[in-house]
Amino acid sequence: MKVEAIEYGDRRVFTVSSFNRGVGDWLSRLPSVWVEGEVTELRRQERWQSVFLTLKDPTDGACLGVTMPRGQFDALRLELANGERVHVFGRPELFAARGDFRLRALSIERFGLGDHLAALERLKRKLAAEGLFAPERKRALPRLPRRIGLVTGNDAAAKRDVLTAITSRFPPARILVAETYVQGPRAATAIAEALREICDAPEIDVVVLARGGGSFEDLLPFSDERLVRALAACPVPIVSAVGHEQDTPLSDLVADARASTPTAAARLVVPDFAELTARLERSRTALARGTRAALDRERRRLDLARDHLRRAPLLVLERRRAALEQAAGRLRALSPRATLERGYAIVRAAGEIVRSSSQVAAGDQVDVELGTGGFGAQVKETR
Amino acid sequence: MTEPTFEEAQRELEGIVQRLESGEASLDEAIMLWERGEELYRVCSTKLDSAQGRIEELARRVEAVKP
Repeated sequence: MKVEAIEYGDRRVFTVSSFNRGVGDWLSRLPSVWVEGEVTELRRQERWQSVFLTLKDPTDGACLGVTMPRGQFDALRLELANGERVHVFGRPELFAARGDFRLRALSIERFGLGDHLAALERLKRKLAAEGLFAPERKRALPRLPRRIGLVTGNDAAAKRDVLTAITSRFPPARILVAETYVQGPRAATAIAEALREICDAPEIDVVVLARGGGSFEDLLPFSDERLVRALAACPVPIVSAVGHEQDTPLSDLVADARASTPTAAARLVVPDFAELTARLERSRTALARGTRAALDRERRRLDLARDHLRRAPLLVLERRRAALEQAAGRLRALSPRATLERGYAIVRAAGEIVRSSSQVAAGDQVDVELGTGGFGAQVKETR
Repeated sequence: MTEPTFEEAQRELEGIVQRLESGEASLDEAIMLWERGEELYRVCSTKLDSAQGRIEELARRVEAVKP
């Protein structure tokens, strides 16, 4: 239908009806899409041709009117109740008589917890197959980070709990906090953005991603593929402290470590200050003790060497004496005394040892030396 | 040589203590180790003493992300 304006001089004016028709025309050219929301104000009556309901966005309360022909609605046999999460396939439409914009539903599907879980499970398998959760990807956390990044929701409790836990364990901690939106459709990209910004800050050695407990749906952004990939690509080790013990958002699986409480997160990212100083002092004591032990050892070795040195001349003397005794023994063994003691005798004539009878003549005086004593004798005859 | 981080200094200090306690170091080495160890101790405790706990907020364009 043609939309025509009335001309008042140079002003073109539309009637309400033609304006609505024009807008309606334009809206009808938009494509059909799926819209997710919670059912509220479901109105269905036998005498009405259409069923009316309002779709509400649970995160911020935005509303959208929906209509569907009653026959079509009944054929779906959804037995819908207010508060249920649905996916509506439809296109925008203008109810020209009232200028009301609404979504004309072609189909409605219930989207419950089960569907969420199934979608999540599929994503988890896909990312696991890519190796994003592999243990060998996990990096070690620094024992003493220069600076800690904290990405947290703008709900004060989670932030305060983590800050308190870290600073009470390690008072000199330096923490850089990035607040962001942790709930709603934009949370995943907002968290990823905050993460990137905090990693760009200088000296950040570890990042804690913290969010208090919440419903399954509240924690969904932490299982969003975009966020999980951003966490996997993060150049700094990540601790995921999201939800409670029983929650396992995918951020927990991709992070380098997970903590189920703020205290556990603190234990992961900072050392116990008192323990650290005690350990340092122990090292120093051991250092002094070790050095003293080395000195004592050297001293003992030196004393031992000195004793050896002092005893050395005496030893030389003793060795010489022994050698002398040995020489004397051998000398004695070689002297004729031993031979005489075996029964031989030495005969001397005029001081000369008599070796041949030609040296003496009968009547000569000779001297006989025996092993023990000796005697003088006169030669009777020579032969 | 650049100043070691607390972790590096502490690890080296504990390594030195271990070496000294093994009793294998000669006197010269022991004295050298001791001097180095004292220096590392000083580095560590200075770092702890001078570390001022600080909590900062990242200056972000938070308004831009508000839904």
